[in-house]
Amino acid sequence: MREVGIVGIGHTKFGKMSGGTFTDLLSMAATAALDDAGVKTGIGHGIDQVFVSTMGAGILNKQSGIASALVDYLNLRPAMAETIENGPASGASAIKLGYMAIASGMCDSVLVVGGEMMRVVSGWEGTDFVATMLHPEAEYNYGLTLPAFAGLFTKLCMEKYGITEKDLSIVAVKNHENAVHNPVAHIHVVPDLYCITEDEDAHIMNPYVAEPLRMYHCCPVSDGAAAVLLCAMDKADKYTKKPVKIAGIGQATDTHSVAEREVPTDLLAVRLSAQMAYKMAGLTPEDIDVAELHDAFQILEIVESEEVGFFKRGEGHIAARNGDTKIGGKIPINTSGGLKAKGHPLGATGVSQVVEIVKQLRGEATGRQVEGAKAGLTVNFGGFGNNVVALILTKEEA
Amino acid sequence: MEQMYAYKCTECGQLHHPKHYVCKSCVNRKFEEVPLEGEVTLVTYTKVYNLPEGYMKPYLGFGVVKFENGLVVSGQLEVENPEIGMKLMSTVGVVKEGIGKDYYGFIFK
Amino acid sequence: MIVDKMEQSLRPVETPMVPYPPKYITMATGEKLVIRQIAREEVPHILEAVKPLMTVEADFYDIVASRIYSELLGYYRFRVKDEYCLIGTIGGVLVGIVNGRMVDDKVGMSYHTMTLKQGLRIGAQLFAAKMEYHLDFLNQEEVLIVAESPNGFKRWMIEYELESRPETWHELGGVPTYVLTKALWEKHKATKLGGRRPVSEELLKTCENPTLPETYAQIPGYKR
Repeated sequence: MREVGIVGIGHTKFGKMSGGTFTDLLSMAATAALDDAGVKTGIGHGIDQVFVSTMGAGILNKQSGIASALVDYLNLRPAMAETIENGPASGASAIKLGYMAIASGMCDSVLVVGGEMMRVVSGWEGTDFVATMLHPEAEYNYGLTLPAFAGLFTKLCMEKYGITEKDLSIVAVKNHENAVHNPVAHIHVVPDLYCITEDEDAHIMNPYVAEPLRMYHCCPVSDGAAAVLLCAMDKADKYTKKPVKIAGIGQATDTHSVAEREVPTDLLAVRLSAQMAYKMAGLTPEDIDVAELHDAFQILEIVESEEVGFFKRGEGHIAARNGDTKIGGKIPINTSGGLKAKGHPLGATGVSQVVEIVKQLRGEATGRQVEGAKAGLTVNFGGFGNNVVALILTKEEA
Repeated sequence: MEQMYAYKCTECGQLHHPKHYVCKSCVNRKFEEVPLEGEVTLVTYTKVYNLPEGYMKPYLGFGVVKFENGLVVSGQLEVENPEIGMKLMSTVGVVKEGIGKDYYGFIFK
Repeated sequence: MIVDKMEQSLRPVETPMVPYPPKYITMATGEKLVIRQIAREEVPHILEAVKPLMTVEADFYDIVASRIYSELLGYYRFRVKDEYCLIGTIGGVLVGIVNGRMVDDKVGMSYHTMTLKQGLRIGAQLFAAKMEYHLDFLNQEEVLIVAESPNGFKRWMIEYELESRPETWHELGGVPTYVLTKALWEKHKATKLGGRRPVSEELLKTCENPTLPETYAQIPGYKR
């Protein structure tokens, strides 16, 4: 199979988009990636395939076939184009499919753009939209939501492993501190650990969202887009920057209805997808220098860090308490600020995570650089863990 | 009163809830409906304050429970002070008010 | 202005109202939100902060800002009986405004809640402070409330489980009236009301002359 690398990255500032359409938002990230790679639109652009990853284009923005619209909007005709939907894991799925398109020999260059314009609807309409990925009869019709399942999961993990609400807040504060150095992050304000945990007013300023998860344990609702340009490694010379290699890909599915999971405190799909990615890349957890783990709810960062093999089961929160996952620690996690502080436009997240790892491996992550990073892992979590995609990127030696 | 069902594979007897198209244990695709009710054990619980569009309540309790037959399901919870491991009764009620029809589901008490 | 017999007859008789004791709330970021009552003379200054939002359609700012503007003007010009206004400041900068009035000694009428700085639950705290004023300090029995935005409806009608009382007319008219009774307040106070007293001298000094916000997230491109 041909080797595939990333030669261009683009990322909008996550937050609230003021003015402009969804295709404008996607275009901002797409053109940034093209510029980064030195690719010009129009005649001779050389892009064979465009994948757009988004969960809500149809439901929230009433637009179908958005990839086809984007190709024309960006003057990239007659490139092939598809819209990819895998819930919050749409981004990583689209990158996986871009990899497959090139590795198979069918394409030399693929543009992947992920985006979401979620803030066009109210908070509870947004909650409802995200809940559509749950099981219709067994979950959605009950008013169950993603935060509800995160709350149910957190309660169980707290009982079994002794994770505390403070541990979740420790992870949140770390992510917010990281985001201060990330210009594209949604939130640059850093909560104070004492003020959100022990202060007299903490229970009011940091109220429960889905017990035992509080407001500051959950990511915000964001608009945003991110893009990467994939190319065949053997054709990378014509681009401005050296490619970052996609060394490993893994994906696994689990039961749709959360109650049917074998072990309720496990994230089996995360474990299996990470194992598959390590195997393909010929690497182990010890080889990873930096990771972006899907932390829509801070409990997920803790459990994912265990399921991908960084820490033993039940010790992820101890590692966080010890600062092992900070920049400068044993294994920096979510240097970008994670979904918590960087934001979580569903379709963009998987691509955004990869953009951060590419920045780290290129040495471009100013203010939050992990020194000498050579291998990075991303975990993009779909549904409530019923479809997870893991990617491993490596820096090629000269 | 509305009734909730488990789906029992006609070949190997494996119980399912919710429905699956193909049996989880064998390759059979036929099921018989078996009432799903009775005493349950609470596996985990939460109280959710940010409800989706259409729910006009300040919060809703949810729980995941295990039936005596081994099936684990999620549903709404109407319990003042829930505790993991406590025994509850499974009832059926309106879990969502729809336009033109209401949706029935498990409410554990 | 000359307060002659004509002017006197146009002014309402004011009921003595115990002043709202200022308090401060520690925000998640560690900053302190100070909530205090304003004096009548401060209204023109506060109106300058309200003005820019009167034409912002998003999130119903236009109707809320326009109505607050007229309510505060009514208070300033002695044409509304027993009205009050509380403001919130962080670092001396005005971040939110709430107002209302007493209908009689038992019933309060909640007017508006407007947050200038969004995203930090400031509105929720100012609303709770307003309810605290009516029910804990003015010792009233209930407060009549309506909402103009879905957000308001969720935060107050749903979260406080307000009692529906459509047969009672609210001055802001139109929508059905909801009521916060003493019983409901006692039920929800613990999880809704924050803040500590007294406010230190130096913290009070910071909000003596509140700074008007330079920019508004709700109005991209605006600068005072």
